[in-house]
Amino acid sequence: MRSSETPVKVWDAPVRLFHWTLVLLVVFMYVTAQLKGDWMTWHMRSGYAILALVFFRILWGFAGSSTARFSSFLARPAACLRFAQRLLKREPAAFASHNPLGGWMVVALLAALLVQAGTGLFANDDIATEGPLAGLVSKEMSDRLSTIHYWNFNGLLLLVGLHVAAVLYHWGLLKENLIGAMFTGVKRLPADAAAGGVAARFASPWLALALLAVAALAVYLIVIRPF
Amino acid sequence: MSKKLLAAAVTTAIGAMVASQALAQVKPETLVKQRQAAMTLQAKYLGPIGGMLKGNIPYNADTVALNATFLENLSRMPWDGFVPSTQGEKSKAKPEVFKDPAKFRQAAEQLEQATVKLGAAARAKDEAGVKASFGPVAKACGGCHDNFREK
Repeated sequence: MRSSETPVKVWDAPVRLFHWTLVLLVVFMYVTAQLKGDWMTWHMRSGYAILALVFFRILWGFAGSSTARFSSFLARPAACLRFAQRLLKREPAAFASHNPLGGWMVVALLAALLVQAGTGLFANDDIATEGPLAGLVSKEMSDRLSTIHYWNFNGLLLLVGLHVAAVLYHWGLLKENLIGAMFTGVKRLPADAAAGGVAARFASPWLALALLAVAALAVYLIVIRPF
Repeated sequence: MSKKLLAAAVTTAIGAMVASQALAQVKPETLVKQRQAAMTLQAKYLGPIGGMLKGNIPYNADTVALNATFLENLSRMPWDGFVPSTQGEKSKAKPEVFKDPAKFRQAAEQLEQATVKLGAAARAKDEAGVKASFGPVAKACGGCHDNFREK
């Protein structure tokens, strides 16, 4: 920690729990996809959980804490370019929320997860497992979506790789521990940035719980289709 | 050599000749159709067993016994259609099928053995046994698809 830096709480509990639960679930998804057989039941269940988490994160991106909102971290292309240049020159530039490139990575990861979970709902494995909505489309369409489900995972993996490489770059070369911040919620920001009006406004955890319930209900309605 | 044995030998020889001739005459596209038909039917008869074990449809031991017995036979049917003459046909078979036939044969045998166990449990109306032997069947399907079938 440099002397001019101040610890500032930036990530609320919902964001942090979302992040690490998602990490565990994505690993679990990969493992169960490899194990196949009886594990496919669990693959599907954790897929529903991921879909609910992604829905929740999108809602939280509009109604959650200030640092969790898309409006606080989606930067214009010019700002992204400037930030990229600073990165390459190894000049640290601290942000209370995601940095300009990290912000778009959040969107890319959420989009890839939506595609992955969405195609999974319609997928089949030509054995004895099919997504809960596979019956709504033709076998041909289900096969096509299964192929996307397969290849999109590689895309997701690529994004995750980039994401991990970026935080390691920040840690190793810029001495910014973003990983630790995602655990503790606290970032060390330059004193001026910490004092200068970046103080985060945190939304109620009860609101997070309510939005999670809404997201889970949406997934339930999609999967079970009681109507 | 007894007459009976001679007759048997002659019959076998003629049978083998007819069989090999018949095999030589089967068109590659027919062989691909044979493989795909056998695969489609396996999925058709495996699916309901999976659905019953997951509780999506009520368990019916008679249906399971019938389906599992069909599967036991069907799981032996696709393999003689995988001959090099079919390599030019449009299919999802990977070149590895023909490059490493021993490994392919091993994968096929894994399925055959798994369906024998499933069939025995199903005919014995042993629901726990069906449950236990279903996973290995699905796993054998998937394992072989991973290595030998295009996505």
